[in-house]
Amino acid sequence: MDFGTRFLILSLGGENYAIPITRLLEITMPRNIQKDPKQADIFEGNVEYRGAWIPVVNMKKILKITGGPGENLLVVNSSKGVLGLLVDSVVEILDTDQKPVPMPRGVVNPSLTYFRGILRYKDNLVPLLDEDGLLK
Amino acid sequence: MKSNYLLFLAAGKLFGARLVGAIEILSWRRPRVVPLSYNYVDGLIDYRGAVYPVFNLVLRLGLTKPGPIGFAAEAQEQGDAGRSIILLEENKVPFGIVVDTVVKMAMMEDPSGAMVTAAPVDPQFVKGIVQDDSHDVVILDFERLFHAR
Repeated sequence: MDFGTRFLILSLGGENYAIPITRLLEITMPRNIQKDPKQADIFEGNVEYRGAWIPVVNMKKILKITGGPGENLLVVNSSKGVLGLLVDSVVEILDTDQKPVPMPRGVVNPSLTYFRGILRYKDNLVPLLDEDGLLK
Repeated sequence: MKSNYLLFLAAGKLFGARLVGAIEILSWRRPRVVPLSYNYVDGLIDYRGAVYPVFNLVLRLGLTKPGPIGFAAEAQEQGDAGRSIILLEENKVPFGIVVDTVVKMAMMEDPSGAMVTAAPVDPQFVKGIVQDDSHDVVILDFERLFHAR
């Protein structure tokens, strides 16, 4: 799959992560999140986005990172539909010609679908999140 | 048949890794932690253009370090500072392991392949035990240790 050459670097719990810009629809503040008691624990509720209600995912709960749900909402297009992802902050846009390195074997359970691979960013390694694999 | 081995200590036990291709010994550095990784994975490091998973051998083997007693307690508090990361490859898969001390390189007989016990190390992870200067050296099966899951 072609991820393009631009990635959004975001921060969660003090560490950086990336998502492909091609999947990003909007960066906004989470406002008027409507709680839905029927949703699973990883959801904070739903928000209205361009006339439709979209689920808001607490990324820290998915990745089991401690701390509050985050103060920035990324609206992304995923294979499961449009999603809102709560993150701590947006760091910058990485413009690169690098191809993501696959996650090395033996690090995470192969059935885990949250990561597309690894990117290099400013002498650090940054997991590239898989917005299609966040929801089962 | 004889091969070159790197001997190292982890949790007070002497281990050997057969040297295949290049090997690097790095002073400990903080790997990039990956959320939801196995508990014995310290993280990832980027070294000379390759991404290495870094495995915590002591945790994987379920070994416990000798507890800090008396004067030793202070040294124990150094944590990872005095440790090393060895970058290896097995079956062309590169990976790193965190060890307490790198001891030396030695030319040793390859293990015979016979089942051996190296308690408390789980026998399924042991390729054999060989002798160096009358010390037992446990040769580990890294493929089974880190890639069988």
